[in-house]
Amino acid sequence: MSLTERQLPAGFDALEPFVETWAISGTAARAQRRNESSPEERIAFYEAFKDLAERALTQLDEKPLERLDDQERRLRDLLLSFAHVALAVELQGDAEPEHAKLRQELRITHAPAD
Amino acid sequence: MDGQQVFKMLPVEEAAELLGRGPVSSLPYYDPDRWELERRAIFMRSWLHVGHICEIPEPGSFIRREIEFARASLLIVRGKHGDVQAFHNACTHRGTQLVDEASGKRSRFSCRYHMWTFGLDGALVSAPDFERFHAAKEDCSLKQVQTQVLAGMIFINFDPAPKQSVREFFGPIADALEQTPVARAVDFTEWTYEIEANWKTSFDNYQENYHLRVIHARTGRPAMGPENPFGYPTSYGFCGPHRSQTLWKNPSPPPIPPIQLMSVRRGAALAEKDGVSFPKSDFKLFPCLHIVALPPNQFSHTHMPLGPTRTRGQIRMYWTSKADSASRQFAREMAAMSVRDVLAEDRPAIEACQRGVSNGAIDKFYFQDHEILLRHLYEQVESRVEAYLAERAAAGGAQ
Repeated sequence: MSLTERQLPAGFDALEPFVETWAISGTAARAQRRNESSPEERIAFYEAFKDLAERALTQLDEKPLERLDDQERRLRDLLLSFAHVALAVELQGDAEPEHAKLRQELRITHAPAD
Repeated sequence: MDGQQVFKMLPVEEAAELLGRGPVSSLPYYDPDRWELERRAIFMRSWLHVGHICEIPEPGSFIRREIEFARASLLIVRGKHGDVQAFHNACTHRGTQLVDEASGKRSRFSCRYHMWTFGLDGALVSAPDFERFHAAKEDCSLKQVQTQVLAGMIFINFDPAPKQSVREFFGPIADALEQTPVARAVDFTEWTYEIEANWKTSFDNYQENYHLRVIHARTGRPAMGPENPFGYPTSYGFCGPHRSQTLWKNPSPPPIPPIQLMSVRRGAALAEKDGVSFPKSDFKLFPCLHIVALPPNQFSHTHMPLGPTRTRGQIRMYWTSKADSASRQFAREMAAMSVRDVLAEDRPAIEACQRGVSNGAIDKFYFQDHEILLRHLYEQVESRVEAYLAERAAAGGAQ
């Protein structure tokens, strides 16, 4: 993958296919994306990210948020969506589709990562 | 001061003996006339949590809050000297609402209709052709609502002369609250919902763990174990109209799944770096504010009545520093969403409970010993309604 095509920092090529769907700005929008996703989408994202998440956070933590470049910001947004997806996969499992309907009523109105 | 130590914590049997047993009337949980009494006896004269000072950080910062049960729109303003004051969001000329925005920053508030203009202290600064009103400007200030700040939380009281300050009202709990993150919060995660339920029906759900293994079979698993299959709290305590419980600590909880564990660890390390340290505590504060402190996180849950069988819930998780790194953002996103996942599960049962009660066929409720906190709220509400009716009778029926 050439540098110009790359959406994410080097070393995270395995996550490139998820950028379009999961690099989302805003906590409420990420929660909504989780609600609209399919089990297959969630599993694929979770499996691709679970062993890269520690490294991604450690690498991004080296810079203050306002100095992240576009690629790093996308990785950060992916990580934040990953928090939602990890709850779906690790906590809810098969109950996620039913649970999504219940969460819909709880409207996120303010968050530090908006 | 430890959050739990300010309550007199008792084992369940002792607490139950103290408060008594037997069924209670279901009427306060649905009846419109009874709600009107509670509105007057409690909500129009209690300290109510409506915001946090971090929402109005600078002089001129304001938030607007709609308090439906009082038919009030409030403008809560940070004054020139850092003071916090709530006003009715209404021009004193002919009542036009001054502000439509939910929040913002201004040096003055000008009425859109005839340009009466008020300062941050509510004083009328100017009004076109004011001489023709033959009135004194000092009589035309914005109408104040009693406002006090405790532990960073903004409380208002519609009683123009409250019998107690907010600090007196909370007694020793005030100091305990000052030591939790909410007191120095600079940011928060918030979600809100409306529910077809009486405010007590809504609050009561969070006052008992009896429903845990049915409603939260999966998400509540760490809070239950073979030694305590219901996940019952280990003690209950009372302090005036307020109450608390001590959650049982599972000696062998199931392992935390990997990404949640990573998030918890990073969150705990960052909280330690920030010097955030406080005991696990639970504050169920009269009338409708619940504060849960589960280190390193803390959240508040307000059950604001909108009518006899409708309530607005607002949950806020408070943060003591700005989210200035990816790890902070990640740990907060995950912590908040995991609480939201659990709380989402209660709604269908609470609404079904309300639907079953509202025609009065179920005329009484059975509270078991581990539903002692529901009984305490019932009794506190009952005693205030009775006192209000006595006052009204003494005043010859005048309201």
